[in-house]
Amino acid sequence: MGSIKRISKELSELTESPPDGITVELADESNLYEWKISMEGPERSPYHNGIFHVKLSLPTEYPFKPPTVSFVTKIYHPNITNDDKGSMCLGMLRADEWKPSSKIAAVLEFARQLLAEPMPDDAVEGRIAEQYKNDNGRYEEVAREWTRKYAGASQ
Amino acid sequence: MNLQEFLAMEETRDRERDELIDLRGLDLISEYDSHLMCPICHCPFVEPVRLQCDHVFCASCLSSAITTFRSADSEEFPCPSCRNPVQTVSANVPRLLINMCDEIRVRCPLIAEGCEEIIPRGHVQSHVEKYCGYRLVPCPDASCDQVTRSKDVGMDQKCIHTVRRCSRCEGDVLEQEYEEHEKELCPVLEVTCSDCQTVLSRGALAEHVETCTEVAIPCAASKYACPVKIRRADIATHEQSCPLVATGPYFEAQNARLNSLELSVRHLQQRNEIFEDGIANIRSTLGESARIAASAHGGAQATQTGREQQATRAESNTDDPADIAASIFSSNATTYLLSLHESLREEVSQLSHAITDLDARASMAIMNESMRIKEDMAHTNAALNSVRMQVQWLINPRLHQGTRGAVRTNTSNEEPSAAGPSQSSAQSLGHLRPRRSSDSGREGTKL
Repeated sequence: MGSIKRISKELSELTESPPDGITVELADESNLYEWKISMEGPERSPYHNGIFHVKLSLPTEYPFKPPTVSFVTKIYHPNITNDDKGSMCLGMLRADEWKPSSKIAAVLEFARQLLAEPMPDDAVEGRIAEQYKNDNGRYEEVAREWTRKYAGASQ
Repeated sequence: MNLQEFLAMEETRDRERDELIDLRGLDLISEYDSHLMCPICHCPFVEPVRLQCDHVFCASCLSSAITTFRSADSEEFPCPSCRNPVQTVSANVPRLLINMCDEIRVRCPLIAEGCEEIIPRGHVQSHVEKYCGYRLVPCPDASCDQVTRSKDVGMDQKCIHTVRRCSRCEGDVLEQEYEEHEKELCPVLEVTCSDCQTVLSRGALAEHVETCTEVAIPCAASKYACPVKIRRADIATHEQSCPLVATGPYFEAQNARLNSLELSVRHLQQRNEIFEDGIANIRSTLGESARIAASAHGGAQATQTGREQQATRAESNTDDPADIAASIFSSNATTYLLSLHESLREEVSQLSHAITDLDARASMAIMNESMRIKEDMAHTNAALNSVRMQVQWLINPRLHQGTRGAVRTNTSNEEPSAAGPSQSSAQSLGHLRPRRSSDSGREGTKL
């Protein structure tokens, strides 16, 4: 299986030199397809000081199919669903936009960038996107409160 | 070629690939340019092919990409890198690219068998097939089913798994190891003693070294710091003159003595520890009893027991520690009994105190009670007297009448009208004088 080799290669690269504010490990040592990621909220964003747990699942067809990224930690964000799944679906992660040459490191950096700069025009949570655009102060306040509540350092 | 042809070609090549070494699984030693990496498998290109858009992929990666992305046998599919539609695949990749990929240094995949060679990736296949001595091949003898490393197969194509008997030492040796045995290990092989230059068989060498006169051995007194180390032949003459050898027995004796002394010291230490424990116990009980005694009956008794203890100590001063301990223990028992006795005495005296107290209180109560009763009686007496007086007073006129009548009869009989009624009343009053209330009261008290 070509995918296993590529996945293990990417995993070892990510654990050896992880991107800023991101740590990667396998959710289960025997399963290469489920990754557990902790992401620090980027500075100068309402998510700063929060630690967000992210689940990354790789399809068996990887790298021909995109991985799925979901936030285990609740987060107030226009591009991340506000339900139990916390799924994030946009840009490079869409099946019709995914390229096999994209790396998981790029996916994670993209996700973190999204925390710093939400994309309200591509939102999954319309209400939050609306608030982000029209009442940014209130949005930041709620996001900061949620970060404190759900993504505190103790979690 | 178009996609269909490419896929068909890949399919046939896939079957061949099973026989070949998987170049993606190799341990890469040298760094390589990231542009030589296939974007799909993230390894340096293996059999690269090129698309119309100039993107290059491994042939096998591209074929799986086509099967995944192409929608139902269409003539085109999106490039995995740029997503432009692609209809044809070209095997015409710049030679430069292929050479650079083949130049990457890798470790021989048979490292587990012992091959440590590092070779260019392009040569791995031929290295493993032809040159690597660690490739496992079936034994040349058809009747043997074992495998052997290719370098161990000799020119004569003999099976090396048979057991071969060494012609010199009569030992059984595996064919595989026979050569080594013959050259170095066979015990019959002749070797030269490095000290006396005698030639002898390997098997006898160890024994020879024990007795060889030329081998340098240390002086017998080396453990008493004699630094001499000379040939066995000369050691006897040295030992005769060596002062350390002469004093050896003395050292031995001293050592033995030291050992026995150490042993007895250890014994004594143990005994001492036991005694110390005992004394500590005794001391603690002593302290307790002394405290009890002190609290029970003050200083006098304490000094007495103290004196007693001093006496016992003085007595047993010269005895050994065990005796002292025993005497202290016995005196301790007496003091304990004494203190017990003393506390009992204390209790008895307390009881007698309590009894006298109770007695006093009881008599006091009785006295109080009797006083009250006496008073009551006095009152009753007084009342009785007054009643008596009244009765007297009531009875008196009647008596008086009675006497007057009698007097009247008398006077009428003896001296008629000699005395007036007032006279006779005065007389009767004179008779009545002793019946005064005060007298009667005095009589009452006399009662």
